[in-house]
Amino acid sequence: MLNQIFESVWGQANALFFPFRRRRYMDVVVILAGLAILFGLVTLGRQWTGVHRPVVEINLSPWALPKYTFFSMMRGLAAYCISLAFTLVYAFWAAKDARAEKLLIPILDILQSIPVLGFMPGLVLALVGLFPHSNLGLELAAVIMIFTGQAWNMTFSLYHSFKSVPQEFQEAGTTYGFTWWQRLKWIELPFGTTGLVWNSMMSMAGGWFFLMITEAFQLGDQDFRLPGLGSYMSVAVEKGRMGPMLYAVLAMVVMIVFLDQILWRPVVVLAQRFRIEDTSQGDVPRSWLLRLLRRSRLIRLWEARRSHRKRSPLTAETRKAAPAQRARKVQAGYRWLANLALTALAALIVWGAVSLVLFLAKVSRHEWGTLVQAGGLTLSRVLISTVIGTLWTVPAGLAIGLSDRLSRIFQPIVQVAASFPAPMLFPVVILALAHFGIGLNYGCIALMLLGTQWYILFNVIAGAMAIPGDLKEAATSFHLTPWQRLTQLYLPASFPYLVTGWVTAAGGAWNTSIVAEYYNLNGATLSTFGLGATISKAAYDRNLTLLAASCLLMSAIVVAFNRLVWKRCYKLAFTRYSLDK
Amino acid sequence: MDVKTVKTDTTILELRGIQKSYDRGTGKPLRVLEDVNLSIKSNEFVCLIGPSGCGKSTIMRIFAGLIAPTKGQVFYHGKPQEGLLDNVAIVFQAFALYPWLTVEANVENVLIAKGLDRAEVKERTNHAIQMVGLEGFEEAYPRELSGGMKQRVGMARALSVDPEILFMDEPFSSVDALTAEGLRAEVLDIWDDRGRNPSSILMVSHDIPEVAFMADRIVVLSANPGRIRTIVDNPLPRPRDTRSPEFMRLVDQLHDIITSTELPDIQVSTVAPSVESDIVEPLPNAQYADMLGLLEYVDAQGGACDLFQVVAHTHVPFEKVLTTVKGLEMLELVETPKRSVELTAMGRAFVQIGMDERKIIWQKQLLELKLFRVVKDLLELREGELSREELIQEIAGRLPMEDPELTFETIVAWGRFGELFAYHKHRGVLTFE
Repeated sequence: MLNQIFESVWGQANALFFPFRRRRYMDVVVILAGLAILFGLVTLGRQWTGVHRPVVEINLSPWALPKYTFFSMMRGLAAYCISLAFTLVYAFWAAKDARAEKLLIPILDILQSIPVLGFMPGLVLALVGLFPHSNLGLELAAVIMIFTGQAWNMTFSLYHSFKSVPQEFQEAGTTYGFTWWQRLKWIELPFGTTGLVWNSMMSMAGGWFFLMITEAFQLGDQDFRLPGLGSYMSVAVEKGRMGPMLYAVLAMVVMIVFLDQILWRPVVVLAQRFRIEDTSQGDVPRSWLLRLLRRSRLIRLWEARRSHRKRSPLTAETRKAAPAQRARKVQAGYRWLANLALTALAALIVWGAVSLVLFLAKVSRHEWGTLVQAGGLTLSRVLISTVIGTLWTVPAGLAIGLSDRLSRIFQPIVQVAASFPAPMLFPVVILALAHFGIGLNYGCIALMLLGTQWYILFNVIAGAMAIPGDLKEAATSFHLTPWQRLTQLYLPASFPYLVTGWVTAAGGAWNTSIVAEYYNLNGATLSTFGLGATISKAAYDRNLTLLAASCLLMSAIVVAFNRLVWKRCYKLAFTRYSLDK
Repeated sequence: MDVKTVKTDTTILELRGIQKSYDRGTGKPLRVLEDVNLSIKSNEFVCLIGPSGCGKSTIMRIFAGLIAPTKGQVFYHGKPQEGLLDNVAIVFQAFALYPWLTVEANVENVLIAKGLDRAEVKERTNHAIQMVGLEGFEEAYPRELSGGMKQRVGMARALSVDPEILFMDEPFSSVDALTAEGLRAEVLDIWDDRGRNPSSILMVSHDIPEVAFMADRIVVLSANPGRIRTIVDNPLPRPRDTRSPEFMRLVDQLHDIITSTELPDIQVSTVAPSVESDIVEPLPNAQYADMLGLLEYVDAQGGACDLFQVVAHTHVPFEKVLTTVKGLEMLELVETPKRSVELTAMGRAFVQIGMDERKIIWQKQLLELKLFRVVKDLLELREGELSREELIQEIAGRLPMEDPELTFETIVAWGRFGELFAYHKHRGVLTFE
């Protein structure tokens, strides 16, 4: 009886609160969020189109940080949009046009290995020249710089997905007469989505790496500074102000976590639909934001309208049946377009190569000799940092990955650490090293480590987690000694992941060398001999020939190393150490 | 029910002089089809059956226009046909459903691709879904469905485009046996409706009772290169009773044809040729574990049994059983008089003895085969290290009709078991054990 009364009262009270709990407040939040975005965009527009100021003064007060962080984030997002558009076009072209593929993929390989700083001076000068009276040119330059740190990975991923669409999927598409657009929309893009989403997250993180340089770029005596988190940090470092440095690091962490929660989590959850495996997986990713948003009536209204529109009658354009003849005509049109694009690209490459050779003719033989020495030195630093990174991360990664409890705790932490741009932490490390009397010559190995060891750790953890349970049980039941387990099970089984970690880490270390071998701290320039330092200094001194030569050398070393070493490691990993077969 | 037995003999699709070869980059192209002539008439259910590697799926794809023949011509209603047929529909072996689209969207998309207007897309989708009994599953994703339900979606998608001929590529081999029974009957019911498409069905199969149950005409193919061995008419009245004596006789007859195609009873010549002939026997891609298992099985049956009893009892597809028996026959461990498998004296001994002695016999028998002697000679010539590429070149040269890589794999597997050769995968070289 009492129970019943209680139940009915409780039920009514609950019902009273129902609209509030279910919808209203989420609607308010959605509206507020919309207004906030609008306000942000207006501010952004004002900043971008504002009158170009000769030098931007950065306010080191922590209260200025939210605005700066917002500006930086929007630059990253704008760069991401460009990366996505580039990826779609480039990957599609490379996958569909067999002749273009032979040219496009090597180009991508080279683009990937050119250090960001190599693009920067030319681009900044050109774009600033294009928009002399507003900030737009400089803003665009910064966005494109971030883009060059993001795009290549994503493009490779999507290209590989396009090339590996299962044959029956393709055949079904052909059988039922899908047009290229329907094929892309219904087969190829959905198939590539999972890989593209993961690579997008990685790329977004990679884009922040050079933020301190791209937003506070100095070319000779010209100062191309933009208001942003990167420039805030670089000013704080220049002035040696510990407090603001700390605030900037904190703001960066907040931004990374914010983007992860607001953007990537929901995207990952939505992308679940495009999984290929037929079986339902145990550990389903969740997003609190998505769950909340689905409570909002506004969002549901919008979704309903969208699906309604999807069901509305087709436009006249699509309704026209596509007879074979018309399809063939369209095909011929595309063929013609592809030929034109390919010719243009080839011409561009030839022109670029010729002008590069003419440009580099000014570099003397002696200078080349010095450059090669610097390259060798930096290469050895990169390798040493990778070796040291491997030495500690493999045992640690195995320990974490093999324990359910530890991996639950550490995996998200390592993820954030891996996506944090290491150059922001350099001042602290350099000061600490100086305290112990270690110069930048050896010290920059430590700086490289700081940036790249996370990739190895992250991958080893993933590898250890992927070791099949029955292999571990077999090891236990046959009483293998810990040493046997390490050498016969854990190391071989996680080797493919380790190789991925190495490749990412070494690539990151090369990038780091540019920042680490030449650092402005507290008004003084610390530097050591090396290819990274040469690149930084050439940019700083506005020595464009030397800059081009050193960037060319670096990308040559990286490409050669990829071909000679990493490719073989991959082959070994996918034949001998693959767990698939 | 049996309106379709009244045949109107208009030919819908016809293959004339079809040949298909693939360039495998080893110099000589691999020929998979040789001189195939076949037609599909209206209101007809045609089945293609044959051993693995006979190109039955390739023939189906050439009919549909998915693959262009190297030589020969496809005719559609008497006119030469290039490329894909209009309104072509295929039911795929592994379903080929897009996992990110709902059941409904999987069907709708092919209709949208045809450029139909919204109302018709809706109507046809509903009709197709209802035809295969998928109402209520419209909003489900394929990964939520069982194999049988997935294949229903595949069928709904195919039927929705209203195909004149429905192509089916082993549609029931990824579905469990009981579900397959039901689906077969449903396919026949849908086809039986004379006023509607599909007028005819072309189905690829590897199951003899299945083709006997469903087909009007059964095209039996032989392999290497694929060609038509014979075409068996199936006049049994529908609905067919799988336990009727006539039905069983047909199944028996098909068994006989296939065995005689694949395991011809050729008398071994009693006079040894004075000069070793240069002809190399093609090697069936049989796994030695299957071969050992089959020997044990035959031994347990008293040393002899019917070939198709093995298929029925073990639920192993007959192509695989045939390949295994062929392998054993090459090593003289079994004989195949007509369609039974019998252990030879050596085979009987082989089953009894231990693993070490088995390997000795195996090795001896391998060296009776010309191909293995060729490999051995080549290996000696190369001082004990033979590269994979060179051996594959050699195989491609000597066995132009065979897939050289598959033959290579078999040589390695058999040679390893006989402790004759060792193969080092990472260096890609074959050495002596």
